Amino acid sequence: MYSDLLNALPEVFGLANFLAVIIGVIAGIVVGAMPGLSATMAISVLVPFTFGLEPLVALGLMAGIYNGAMYGGAIPAVLLRIPGTPAAVATTFDGYPMAQKGEGGFALQVAVVSSSIGGIASAFALMLLAPPLSRVTLLFGPAEVFWVAVFGLASIIFLLGGSPVKGLISACFGVFVSVIGSDPIFGSDRFTFGKLELLDGISIVILLVGLYALPPVIDLLETPLKTGVSEDKLGTEPIWKALPRMKGFWKTWLRGSFIGIWIGILPGAGGSMAAFMSYNEARRASKHPERWGEGEAEGVAAAETANNADTASALIPALTLGIPGTAVAAVMLGGLLVHGLQPGPMLFRDNPDVVFGFMWQFLFGAILLVLLGGSLATNSFARLLNLPRPLLGSIIIVLMLIGVYSIHGRMFDVYLMLGFGAVGWVMDKLKFPLPPVVLGLILGAFAEENLRLALRIGRGDWSVLFRNTTSLVLVALTIAVIVGPGLKQRILDARKARRQA
Amino acid sequence: MTEARQNRLLRPETLTAIGLIVAATGFLIPTFDLRPISALLPAAMLIGLIVLSALLLVSDQRKAAAGEVAKPVSTAPGRVIGAFALIVGYAVATDLLGFYPSTVVIIPLVSAIFGYRSPLGLVIATAIVVGSIWLIFDFGMSQDFPAGRLWQD
Amino acid sequence: MLKLIQKGALAGAMILAAGAALAEYPEKPIEVIVGYSAGGGTDVMARTAAPFIEKYLGSGASLVVKNMPGASGQIGVTEVAGAKPDGYTIGTFNLPGMMARTIDREAGYDRESFTYLANVVNDPNVIVTSKGSGLDTMEKLIAAAKEDPGAITVGMSSLGGDDHFALIKLEGLTETEFTIVPFKGSAPARTALMGGHVAMGILNISEVASFQDELNVLGVATEERSDFAPDLPTFREQGIDLINGSMRGFVAPAGLPEDVVAKLDDAFEQMAGDPEFLKAMADTANPIEVVTGDDFKQLTSDLYDLANKVWQETPWN
Repeated sequence: MYSDLLNALPEVFGLANFLAVIIGVIAGIVVGAMPGLSATMAISVLVPFTFGLEPLVALGLMAGIYNGAMYGGAIPAVLLRIPGTPAAVATTFDGYPMAQKGEGGFALQVAVVSSSIGGIASAFALMLLAPPLSRVTLLFGPAEVFWVAVFGLASIIFLLGGSPVKGLISACFGVFVSVIGSDPIFGSDRFTFGKLELLDGISIVILLVGLYALPPVIDLLETPLKTGVSEDKLGTEPIWKALPRMKGFWKTWLRGSFIGIWIGILPGAGGSMAAFMSYNEARRASKHPERWGEGEAEGVAAAETANNADTASALIPALTLGIPGTAVAAVMLGGLLVHGLQPGPMLFRDNPDVVFGFMWQFLFGAILLVLLGGSLATNSFARLLNLPRPLLGSIIIVLMLIGVYSIHGRMFDVYLMLGFGAVGWVMDKLKFPLPPVVLGLILGAFAEENLRLALRIGRGDWSVLFRNTTSLVLVALTIAVIVGPGLKQRILDARKARRQA
Repeated sequence: MTEARQNRLLRPETLTAIGLIVAATGFLIPTFDLRPISALLPAAMLIGLIVLSALLLVSDQRKAAAGEVAKPVSTAPGRVIGAFALIVGYAVATDLLGFYPSTVVIIPLVSAIFGYRSPLGLVIATAIVVGSIWLIFDFGMSQDFPAGRLWQD
Repeated sequence: MLKLIQKGALAGAMILAAGAALAEYPEKPIEVIVGYSAGGGTDVMARTAAPFIEKYLGSGASLVVKNMPGASGQIGVTEVAGAKPDGYTIGTFNLPGMMARTIDREAGYDRESFTYLANVVNDPNVIVTSKGSGLDTMEKLIAAAKEDPGAITVGMSSLGGDDHFALIKLEGLTETEFTIVPFKGSAPARTALMGGHVAMGILNISEVASFQDELNVLGVATEERSDFAPDLPTFREQGIDLINGSMRGFVAPAGLPEDVVAKLDDAFEQMAGDPEFLKAMADTANPIEVVTGDDFKQLTSDLYDLANKVWQETPWN
């Protein structure tokens, strides 16, 4: 198998194939950086177009776009507090405060380096460990996946913000939105009011664009200021000068890569959950967690490593089992099918050149990211965001419409997005935290579906949820996450008290 | 006195909480038609929303009783409503009149209304944005945008 | 006599008119509406077939595939049903799903809404069991199902799909009872099966063709053995008269002009015999069975009746 890997290499360096990756990375950064446009949308627009292309050119473009967009999403997340892609939500937590403090340039450099590291780790996992990791995926049946979702939902606790009541309202709202559509088991309608467009549920991109992009746009128009981001706030410096400031991040990078790869191989959860979890874990491990959320560069590193670390690993279950790990991987799977690449164990035997070439393209995409994204993209985008605010606002409005319309090619989604935008504006002004909505939408219906599948398998017996070790380990982890911080605090208090006494 | 009481009910958080309770109760009605297992999660979330909103309402009213003044939601409500109306208008225009005509109008219109009025800048920006969208999506990827329902049939 | 001449003249005029129309169609691009996202099985079928249809329609015909995904293909097929019947809008059609949806929910179309052009793909159902279940023959499987009704969990892609009907047929034929576990799509069902989370699965042959080492494939629901797995016995060979599958084809709105129908049918029939097309479909794991015109309509009608019967006895939602 590893010799196949090397045999595929010369093909990858073919001019057209390599150029495809470069173009893909640049296009991906641009798409990710445009508020409103997402990687899911870019690749779904691309798939029909690639029908006439050579497989490696098409796949190279997709690999590049995926890698580029996962970083590109960080640019508006840092500069405007609009996550460019769903996975960049966690990047706003510390990235935007950094930009406010005049460290936006450094935040973006942390983001690009972390993205690249996460992407490289993920590509290696895909190249070297795909078959064994797909065995791990097999361990996760509906009961186990249900617990993964619960574990993810438990991290909402840390995203509640200042007011727990408001945070929980946000979470309930997100979960409620997730159940709109057809019932996961019976297929009967829930809250669709006869609208066929709602039957498949509400796409995360629609909610995200409405909730996150519309309120800042209205802010841009509400307060008449001359320019968007002032130059002096950015604080750009050459990347080699910025690198030494990141030398303490290796633990976060390692942890983020591991979490991203792990979430990637589990079907369904995707990049946002990876970023949230990595962020939480890094904060928990930090010596000064109180600084997080106010511009801690390590927070950006944690989020960006993880959301790139699940790109290639999400393809492991997609290629070996036909089940994509993220929404973007699902669209890419379509791109593979278009080229006659049927997922499964035979894929690696029948088309080694294409499959292993594709894996190399992921690796090069991740490496190119730091070269192309480092100075070029960061500086040019910062400049773009320097446009007069009303102009910037009106351009973002157009991009939002295109980005949402292009996913399914229908205006219904645009109106839905505007509805969420109005909700988002009220939430923003009244200080309801938005991240619990996103996590609730992603994980709510996902948890429900798997719970009900598990109950069907157990013929209605709830003990099916606790029947094997994988489930029990996950239950223990969830409890640790919920109880842990309080317990730690108590131990610390007790120690302090003893010392004082 | 009456004015103060009126104000108490018009506090933004109070209004939001009442709105949430009404909306959640409204959505709760269709859950009765579902199978119990289908209704479980949505009903739990809606009841959760109602309870939490009630808590929010109580705490906000306490703050009001304590004499705390609610912060206004927006410093310029006119601009906010105007901006939102323009965005909705743009979406409707795209649907009815077509994407390209609406976009060519909306970019300079929004910019001009909200304070950027350099004619040359507007023309250049509009041309670049619409041009690159056409080049990438329409020409490059043969993506169709709404052509306008009014012109069809 | 006069009447006869009149009739003859009329017939002649009609033939001429038809001839003229025949020469004209298609004079502009034909839109093919696919009710799924680009890259799905139905989309790949449409895009693979498109150049061959263009070739056999001749006169510079061009087909443009338009994806209108959503609601298991219902949004797209509703659009086709409501389109102008001029031959410039055709769409993909999935069976039994499209008919089952008219039964289990309100649909904006029924079986009379379409001109049936051609069914192209027939992907037969297979019964598979997980390696760990020990149920490696149909006999063992049925014995186990009879011993403890409902003890065997069956993973499948959804309720009201071809796999569901196959299971209901099987239950009727063998007087057994199974517990259905409807996943979202067949790939998750197959994965759960490989992980041993469900004991048995009903899938389509194209979906298990490259997983034969990881799963026990017990039989295929066709009349004769499938080219995809020539070693795999049919259920008939094993004494169970189970024939079922998932079908994909092309329809147009009802009331299409006769000459356009004739021209399209002709193109589909020629395509069905094109070895290049057969190879392209085999490469994308699409088992072909071309059925055109009235036979296709009859097939749809039969499947509707079956779905309706099942729904009357055991409604699934």
